[in-house]
Amino acid sequence: MGVFRFTRKQLCIPYAVFLLCFVAAPLLVIIYYAFTNGEGEFTFGNLTGFFTSPYTIGTLAYSFAIAVVTTCVCLLLAYPIAYILARSKWKSKAVIVVMFVMPMWINFTLRITALKEILTLIEGNLAFHPFLNTIIGMTYDFLPFMILPMYTTLLKLDKSLLEAAADLGASPFQVFCKVTLPLSVPGIISGVVMVFLPSMTNYVVLDMLYNSTYIMGSLIGSFFSAYDWHNGSMIALILLLIILVFTLITDRYAEEDTGNRGGALL
Amino acid sequence: MKVRRVRVLALCLTGAVLASLPWPQGGRAQAREETITLRVCNWEEYIDLGDWDEEERIELDNGVDIFGENALYDEFEVWYYETYGKRVQVEYSCFGTNEDLYNQLTLGDTYDLVCPSDYMIMKLIAEGALEPYSESFFDREDEENYYARCVSPYIADVFEENEIDGESWSRYAAGYMWGVTGVLYNPELMTREEASTWAVFDNPDFYRQITLKDNVRDTYFSTLGYLRQEQLMDETFLADADYQEKLGHMMNDVSPETIDAVEQLLGRIMGNIYALETDSGKADMVTGKIAANYQWSGDAVYAMDQAEEDDVYLQFAVPRECTNLWFDGWVMLRAGIGEDMEKKQAAEAFVNFLSRPENAVRNMYYIGYTSAISGGEDDTVFSYLDWCYGAEEDEEDTVAYPVGYFFSGDNEDENFIVYTSQEQVGRQLYTQYPSQEVISRAAVMGYFDEEQTRDINQMWINIRCLDVREIPLWCVLVTLCIVVTVVAAAVLRKKNHYCG
Amino acid sequence: MRKDLPGKIFIAVTLLLLYLPILVLAFYSFTTSANIGSVHGFTMDNYINLFSNEELRGMILGTVLLAFGSSLLAAVLGTLGAIGAFYSKKMTKSFVGVMNQVPVINADVVTGFSVCIMLVVVLGVDKSTYVPLVIGHVVLSAPFVYLSVVPKLKQMDASLYEAAMDLGATPRQALTKVVLPQIQPGIVSGFALAVTLSLDDYFIASYTKPATFDTISTYVVNATKGSQTEIKTALWALSTLIFLIVVLAVALMNLRSGKEGSKFEG
Repeated sequence: MGVFRFTRKQLCIPYAVFLLCFVAAPLLVIIYYAFTNGEGEFTFGNLTGFFTSPYTIGTLAYSFAIAVVTTCVCLLLAYPIAYILARSKWKSKAVIVVMFVMPMWINFTLRITALKEILTLIEGNLAFHPFLNTIIGMTYDFLPFMILPMYTTLLKLDKSLLEAAADLGASPFQVFCKVTLPLSVPGIISGVVMVFLPSMTNYVVLDMLYNSTYIMGSLIGSFFSAYDWHNGSMIALILLLIILVFTLITDRYAEEDTGNRGGALL
Repeated sequence: MKVRRVRVLALCLTGAVLASLPWPQGGRAQAREETITLRVCNWEEYIDLGDWDEEERIELDNGVDIFGENALYDEFEVWYYETYGKRVQVEYSCFGTNEDLYNQLTLGDTYDLVCPSDYMIMKLIAEGALEPYSESFFDREDEENYYARCVSPYIADVFEENEIDGESWSRYAAGYMWGVTGVLYNPELMTREEASTWAVFDNPDFYRQITLKDNVRDTYFSTLGYLRQEQLMDETFLADADYQEKLGHMMNDVSPETIDAVEQLLGRIMGNIYALETDSGKADMVTGKIAANYQWSGDAVYAMDQAEEDDVYLQFAVPRECTNLWFDGWVMLRAGIGEDMEKKQAAEAFVNFLSRPENAVRNMYYIGYTSAISGGEDDTVFSYLDWCYGAEEDEEDTVAYPVGYFFSGDNEDENFIVYTSQEQVGRQLYTQYPSQEVISRAAVMGYFDEEQTRDINQMWINIRCLDVREIPLWCVLVTLCIVVTVVAAAVLRKKNHYCG
Repeated sequence: MRKDLPGKIFIAVTLLLLYLPILVLAFYSFTTSANIGSVHGFTMDNYINLFSNEELRGMILGTVLLAFGSSLLAAVLGTLGAIGAFYSKKMTKSFVGVMNQVPVINADVVTGFSVCIMLVVVLGVDKSTYVPLVIGHVVLSAPFVYLSVVPKLKQMDASLYEAAMDLGATPRQALTKVVLPQIQPGIVSGFALAVTLSLDDYFIASYTKPATFDTISTYVVNATKGSQTEIKTALWALSTLIFLIVVLAVALMNLRSGKEGSKFEG
């Protein structure tokens, strides 16, 4: 027993080393830049600068707003789709899932160009609705990322549980709320992670749809292209920490939840 | 046995990942002895790539026949071998913005010859990153020194007059393309009068119909021009003996007070314009999304040409207050050239090759920008100008459009007057070769030192970012309500769990 | 069947919206227009250019090769990492888990920048070896493979592995015959995601690519100055071709699943 457990663990060595070299080490580089100034001296100036400027805080709020709304819209669209597909007995449902992902194989810059023209046709002048356009663009770009994990989770859902619940007298709505929804939380979480984070940082979508307000990604990018690696790194680091805390909380919540449910059902 | 195999696999993969790190750099030194490798980095789509259709052949009145068969950098390899008997291989690559180029240079890309804009050239000179051109490069007696022999006297003057740390640009940079900035507008939606001022971006008649450039330098310049409108148009200021110098100073003013004033004004302008763009403005003019946009002259020529295909006739106006004179020039990098004299010679030859009048014409035809080459004794460039814009012989109502300031240094020079149709005076010809009157109010925007750059970038960030103090109260309240509800729901649920 | 109808309509409408911009691109790829908006005439020039333009061919080939190569590497690393970490002690597990989250939640700008600094400035790797580019894309996509495999592992019946061992399977057999088939959908969707991410990436490539190489994204975004529209419109043609291939593949898959379905029914 002990021997093969050892080998299974062994499998993660290459990935762990890879993460160490190309994720952890570069992270240290970022931290180094975040806490030094142009002369290479240690400083907290970049940190305090971020939290005392109304503009950077405003950008944080704006990015959050875009990310939250995009994620909600994606969730509301994707969950029914994933649910219908996973529950259906259609022969070609795998094909439909593939169809949802396929648009992403065409470069997003090209697709957004076309989307821009369609939106102009509908709205007349794009400049009147920058926020709305951004949400539409982001949703359009990230929806597949939401559908895919939810679909795979829902597909694996043990159908006998649902039948058992129904047999025990639960209405379809109750079955959904008490069994299906809690069990699909892991899928929802990974979907949310995949949509929420890029929508805080993918500024090319904003640029292409004429929203001139900065989000976190554009702020970082603007610092880097202005050769200010120190402030750029600090903002990157802050963004990273905020989101890390956010994901740790949701992860824990998700694990607890499924764990409890599993226990309760046994 | 099996156990070991899995372990070996894991180790092998680790090894594979690690092995990809140090990369052996052999075999390179050998090749270098036979062939000179010249690493050139230019703007995207900023050189003729050849492959013209037969109907594109340009037959000029002076008997020169121009046809782009292959990319110029490929043809350079052939030409260099034929002229100097040495093989050279051009590694040609592109960059998107001056800042990208600078970042590439700091982040591990090495080039020998690059083509940044005026202020970036100044920055690179100030940092000592550039290799000066050799004396022989400026020898006008040498047949092959096309740059020295063909560069426009006007451009040569500007490069001579502008100095950085007491050294003029001309020592380090050879002009490639140049132009001014202005307003590209649709005459069906806007009058020329309305377009001919930097105030157009603040004009409420065109609410959400005009775009500005998505970079701080261009936007700063236009807003400063609007801010200083009264002073710039002042009679005594215009008549001042040191007008040019004072204009330059005024348009390069980045004192904290000026930056503050620009920020205020720009904040207002942002509420009136359609958007900031870098590239999409040209297409948006054609599709009618916008009525006007801030444009570099080269792109404006291209946009006008493109729009004609869609039966839209755009015009270009240079604001009456002032305009930004800009250049892109070839500079050699110390980090790339080093002590390699053969490489330096090849780099200089590359610049000379591009400065051959027929190659300058090919570039102009292909990218729509204006070459810094006037041709010197050779009249190919002027013939091309005449070929493009000259009126037909039987045409009436022709206008004399002098461009002598560029070709010979004397605007009265009768050899360099294009007789053209009236409409060209507001369109491509005027855009590609602005009149001397426009040139007289042109100012070069220099590079800013570190502190100034930081200030101006901070201003840009303030403009682009949402000010937290501007978020309406109801937004905050709604958000708070939602957060409280979610947290309460989560807590309640948890309680229920433990109770159940 | 009728109960399915609202669901079917919902999915159909969403798919239509997702494909609408692509259809617009497809339509304009057959015209002479350089901008989406007006039509003057129809032509196949864009398709001819797509195959005759050498620069374009190299760019497409490079982008696709990079996507599949880096995704393959990412799939192997990510899957091994997920299996290994899943059976590891809490320490290793949380290290890999947290580090894995970093590229997922990090802005692509920062990932690209930090990988570039690490490899090029600190380790002195030459960009022209393509190593930074490949590693950058693996960093981008391997975490997503990991994330799509982990839920599968969690859903997998933990006793299956032990049961296989009890029945005399070697650890390797247990792994390949029991675990891998169980998590295979996760690996496949992870791989698909990896390809998608790599094809869509702009930020990382722009920091790590060799100067002489362009992916489709970096080309489209960087082409800000100058005049050549030939490649731009040829890329519309490329989008159309990808779209057609998708349609063809979907039709084939449909046909096959239809046959399989009837086999089961019969």
